[in-house]
Amino acid sequence: MTTQTIVTPPTTGQRAIRSRRPSRARMKTIAGSVLLGVVLLAAWQVLPGLTGTPSYVVPALSDVLAALTDPTALPRYISNAGTTLTEVLVGLGIGVAIGLLGGIALAQFRTVYEIVFPYIVAIESIPKVAVAPLFIIWFGFDLPSKIVVVVLLAFFPVLVNTIHGIRGVDRDQIELFEANGASPGQIRMKLLLPAALPSIFSGLELAVANSMIGAIVAEFVGAQHGLGVLILQAQGSMQTAAVFALLIILSALGIVLNTLVRMARRKVVFWA
Amino acid sequence: MSAVEPLIRIDHLEKVYPTSSGEIHALSDVSLSIADGEFVAIVGPSGCGKTTLLKILAGLETHTGGTATIAGAPISKPRGDVGMVFQKPVLLPWRTIGQNVLLPLELHRKVGRAEKAAAQNLLEMVGLGDFASKYPKELSGGMQQRAAICRALVHDPAVLLMDEPFGALDAMTRDLLNVEVNRIWRETSKTAVLITHSIPEAVFLAQRVIVMSPRPGRIIDVIDVPFGPTRTLDLLGSPEFADLNARIRSYFEVIA
Repeated sequence: MTTQTIVTPPTTGQRAIRSRRPSRARMKTIAGSVLLGVVLLAAWQVLPGLTGTPSYVVPALSDVLAALTDPTALPRYISNAGTTLTEVLVGLGIGVAIGLLGGIALAQFRTVYEIVFPYIVAIESIPKVAVAPLFIIWFGFDLPSKIVVVVLLAFFPVLVNTIHGIRGVDRDQIELFEANGASPGQIRMKLLLPAALPSIFSGLELAVANSMIGAIVAEFVGAQHGLGVLILQAQGSMQTAAVFALLIILSALGIVLNTLVRMARRKVVFWA
Repeated sequence: MSAVEPLIRIDHLEKVYPTSSGEIHALSDVSLSIADGEFVAIVGPSGCGKTTLLKILAGLETHTGGTATIAGAPISKPRGDVGMVFQKPVLLPWRTIGQNVLLPLELHRKVGRAEKAAAQNLLEMVGLGDFASKYPKELSGGMQQRAAICRALVHDPAVLLMDEPFGALDAMTRDLLNVEVNRIWRETSKTAVLITHSIPEAVFLAQRVIVMSPRPGRIIDVIDVPFGPTRTLDLLGSPEFADLNARIRSYFEVIA
């Protein structure tokens, strides 16, 4: 998304109003996207049959939709999606809180930042997915081990982006506050945090995507509930259509979460 | 010494910065007294320490020798009775123009109806009366800098410090804002210190122009500007104005 700079003559004092209605060109691209989607879905429906691909390799779209709306499977989908969503939301909440508070602390205390940062980078370079089995040993097969994996994946982008946001604050803005005798607390709350919000939201978007990955992988490694478990079960019994159906549910969850964050961003960071 | 004690008094001020490549002598033996209600402009080449001098007056930087006092009190940290206008407007994009103007007050007391009315009055004085609820990005550069001037005045400071406030604006907007600053200064009777690299701007606005040398910055001349308090754009074309400009410019030709 780009914010246009609109030049208005200073004498008229006219406010530039950005039109909310999509332009003709924008309508065309939307129509193009929809058309492409229809073509792809049609190909998905027709091609497996035409090429003689077995249904357990690539099921036709109609088979996937049947699996998705199967009334006997639906309650299972919903309750397991609830488990995965709980892991994601709790882990995300904790991870974002840690990332935000840690980022604020590290950005303000330079020495602490310099002491701690190499270790954070070191931890970040471990593929956290590979640590998941360890968390099963430590925290068991239930919710806590999954939440820990999600926290680990969610906190880092928020931490890094919070630090970047705060450290990137305009030197002049800090001088403005200092020249007017602002306290450190006032500088933090009235300047550093609001100024870092655009960057923090970028971290949040990454954290949401990471949380979904974390929850599913943790479920793959060892769990009794969750969409990851259902995917493994469907795979084990060669129900490929059900695997696709579960992937659709997962994608939908991801899209909803991402959209919510982006809506919140537009509301909160209205100036950027 | 005159009978009236000057509001700002700078005596043998020194500023030495330690840097990785040795010390930088920014200000050397700077002495200057500014009377209450006076308008003083400081001109000098880039890096002559004029911004450092202003920041010392604002309490944003320490000095390494000599003394600097405002109303008899040594400056050690930012004071409540100084307003500052920066090179850029430095408006916070998440605050409306009105909220930006109120910031200096908000940091020290509860903002109520009286404070908001004061901010609105200032905005009206600079022709931004209808813009209090707009956001900075909805305003042109010149309008933003006007709002920044309002912000520097909202807590009714005794001293107004301006650090090349119009350097980023086009020439026409700059001239108009200079007329406006002259009017604001007359109407509010603030003591004003202007840092600028524009000699005409200094002559147009100030009662005294302080000429500084390249680093280490020292005062090489103080020129009284003989025009009355009210300055209009006609002044820019007058021969006296041109003479004064030429006289100040001669210092920098010799140096360069």
